[in-house]
Amino acid sequence: MIRIEPEPWAAMVAHGQASYPNECCGAMLGSTERDSKTVRQAIALENAFDGVQAARYELRPEDLLAADKAARERKMDLIGIYHSHPDCDAYFSTTDLQNSCPWYSFVVLSIQKGEFHHANCFLPNFDQTEAPKEELIY
Amino acid sequence: MAKILIPTPLRQFTAKQDSVTVPGATVGEVLTALTTEYPDLRKQIFTEEGKLRSFVNVYLNDEDIRYIGRDAAPAADADTLSLVPSIAGGMPGGTN
Ligand SMILES: [Zn+2]
Repeated sequence: MIRIEPEPWAAMVAHGQASYPNECCGAMLGSTERDSKTVRQAIALENAFDGVQAARYELRPEDLLAADKAARERKMDLIGIYHSHPDCDAYFSTTDLQNSCPWYSFVVLSIQKGEFHHANCFLPNFDQTEAPKEELIY
Repeated sequence: MAKILIPTPLRQFTAKQDSVTVPGATVGEVLTALTTEYPDLRKQIFTEEGKLRSFVNVYLNDEDIRYIGRDAAPAADADTLSLVPSIAGGMPGGTN
């Protein structure tokens, strides 16, 4: 289960809406308890995909490294990645799966006609063949 | 010898430590020492053939080891190694 506190949640939704019609992406910092995670801060990262970003996103490893450093400085953990799907459902696409990492939770926000519509969270497996849903509370 | 920063989800394999220091004069030696000391980490970082997993990038301080000699890059005591995943995504029709 992953719970996103109101402040980071508002920041993620605002980021998704501001980036529309392009995909946005970012990192989620917080804490991990025994069987639940809490997101306390969201960091907007640049979509580094070199091309049309309406249906693609790419994170720079350097940016992720910086987000991990920020988490350590703030005594938090890097626990997840978020990105948006403009005018599309919040599902985990084949491309999302093939470029995922089993270490993190992946939140997908559906932004329809510029407005937040719904969201889901996924936990990709090692072989990048499956990403079961993780319960998401926001 | 070098310090290795452990990403949160992997700390369960390093007795909860957020960084560990292991011996080795090169990046390759340090990674081998790391996965020897913490064998459960091996599967997270390497494939069965012993190659780095496709989603794993290794940074020596702020540099991707791919550009500084990969496994052969020298690792000094003051150096910090980080394991950083490659992450991207997209939707059908967005590949053009
Ligand atoms: Zn996606």
